[in-house]
Amino acid sequence: MEAGTTASTSWPVELRDVSVTYPNGTKALQNVSLRVEPGEMVSIVGLSGSGKSTLIRTINGLVQATSGEVSVGPYAMVGLKGRRLREARGHIGMIFQGFNLAERTDVFHNVLVGRFAHSSAFRTLLGLPSKTDRELALRALDSVGMLEKVWSRANALSGGQKQRVAIARALTQEPSVMLADEPVASLDPPTAHGVMSDLRRINREQGLTVLVNIHLMDLARQYTTRMIGLRDGRLVYDGPAAAATDADFEQIYGRPIQARDKLESQA
Amino acid sequence: MTTRELVVPPRPGNRIRNSLIIAAFVAFTVATCIPAIGGIELDVASIARNWRNGADKMLQLMQPNFEFLPRTWAPMLETLQMALVGAVGAAIVSIPLTLWAARPTNPNSFTRHVVRTIVNINRAVPDLVFATVLVAMVGVGALPGVITLFLFNIGIIVKLVSEAIDSADHGYMEAGRAAGGTQLKINRVTALPQSLPLFANQWLYSLELNVRISAILGIVGAGGIGRLLDERRAFYAYADVSIIILEILVVVILIEILSNLLRRRLV
Repeated sequence: MEAGTTASTSWPVELRDVSVTYPNGTKALQNVSLRVEPGEMVSIVGLSGSGKSTLIRTINGLVQATSGEVSVGPYAMVGLKGRRLREARGHIGMIFQGFNLAERTDVFHNVLVGRFAHSSAFRTLLGLPSKTDRELALRALDSVGMLEKVWSRANALSGGQKQRVAIARALTQEPSVMLADEPVASLDPPTAHGVMSDLRRINREQGLTVLVNIHLMDLARQYTTRMIGLRDGRLVYDGPAAAATDADFEQIYGRPIQARDKLESQA
Repeated sequence: MTTRELVVPPRPGNRIRNSLIIAAFVAFTVATCIPAIGGIELDVASIARNWRNGADKMLQLMQPNFEFLPRTWAPMLETLQMALVGAVGAAIVSIPLTLWAARPTNPNSFTRHVVRTIVNINRAVPDLVFATVLVAMVGVGALPGVITLFLFNIGIIVKLVSEAIDSADHGYMEAGRAAGGTQLKINRVTALPQSLPLFANQWLYSLELNVRISAILGIVGAGGIGRLLDERRAFYAYADVSIIILEILVVVILIEILSNLLRRRLV
C-alpha cells in the first residue's frame, strides 16, 4: 500500500446553487448547494431520475452546470475547458455502474487510462508508458487484488473483477477526490459488499474524499458517514447516514419503502 | 395438463398493405421494360437470331489452352502484387481517416463531415473511371492500378468501419474523458484496439475484392493479368482467354478461403 499513501492530498468539493437543464428541457438539478470536506465518505441517495448521476457528473465536468458554481480543490469547474479541464479531471477519479472498460483491451492498458492526464501524448501514441506510470498502474492493481489478471483481457473478467479494475484505473490517477456512479448496481450482493468495502478502505487508509451514488438504503447506512438525498433534482436531505431513519428515506424516495430499496432483500 | 382452447390474439392485418406494396413493385418493374413509355428495350428475339455467333466463341472457351498457362504467371503475380500493395496502403491510411469519420471517435462535427464528404465523393467514382484517368496521368502499368485499388479500398473501409463504430457502444470513452484524456489518447489506447476486428474484417475483404477487380483494370491499361486478357481477346484467341478466366477464378477462390481462415482467427 506504499503507493497509495504517497497519493496527493485530499480535496473538498463544493456546489453553490447549482442547476442543470438539459437541451431537451429536463431540469435535472435545481439550486443544489452542498459542501463536502476533505476525507469525507458521502452517499448520494435517490430514485433513478432524481439527478444523482447529473450531480456527480457536474463535479468532474462531464455535465456542465447551467448555473451556479462547482469547485473541486483549487479548480472552479463551471466553464472550464480544454487543457485546464483535463488537468482538473486528472485529479478526480471516477467509477461507473457499467465499469466502462475497453473490453477487448488487457487490464494493464485499461488501468493506464488513469494516467491520461499525467502522461505525454507522444508516449501514449507510441504505447510506451513511463516507468512511473507503469509502477502506479501495477501498484493500484495490487491494492485491489487484481495484479495476477494484469494481462487478461477485460472481457474475460467477472463483473466484480471488472469493477475492481475500474477502481484501480481511478487510483492510478492518484486522485484527490473519488466519484462513484452507482458502482454496485450491476453486481450481485456479496460482490457489491466487496466493492463498497474497497471504497471505504480507500477512504479510510488514504483519507480520500469519496462521493458515491447509490439507490440502496442499507448500503448507504452501512458504508458512508454522511448522506445526501435527492428528489426530482432538489436536495431534500443532508445528514449523517447511519442515523437516517426509514421515514427520512421515504421522504427522499417520495413513496413508502419497498423491498427493492435494500440489498439484503435481494440476496 | 388439460388441453384448454388457446386464445391467440388476432394477427395484425397488414395483408392489404403488403399486397399493395408488392403490386406497386411489380408494376414499376414491368414499366421499366416498356420502351413506349421510356423503359429499356429488351429485344429477347435477338437471342434466337444471334446465338450462333456466340456459340463458336463458347465452343472455343470450352477448350482452354493449357499450354498458354506459363505465359500468365508473371502478369498474375503482378495482379496479386497490385492487390496486396493497394490493400496494405489503404489499411494504413484507413485507420486515422475512419476514426475521423466516426462520431464517437471524433466529436467535432465539422472535421467529421469534411472527411465523410471526401470519402463519399471518392466512393461515387467508379473504379474503371479512376483507372482510365490514372493511366492517362501516370502511364500504362501497375502504378495506376495500385492507386485505383488504394482509392477504391479507402472508400469501402472508411464508410463501413466508421458506420460500425457509430453504432457500437463506447462506455470506455466516458472513463477516458473522466480521467482527463484527449480524444487522441482515448482513440489510441481504447477505441483502436476495440475496433480492430471491424478493421481487420474490411481489410481482408478489400484484399479479396482487389484480386477480382485488378483482373478487370488491366483492360484499360492498368497492369496485371487484365492486360494479357485484353490482348488475347483482341487476337480472338479465346482458348487463351479461357485459361486466363479459369486462373482468375481459382486464385479468387483461394484468396477467399485464405481470408476466411484468417478472419476466424482474428475475431
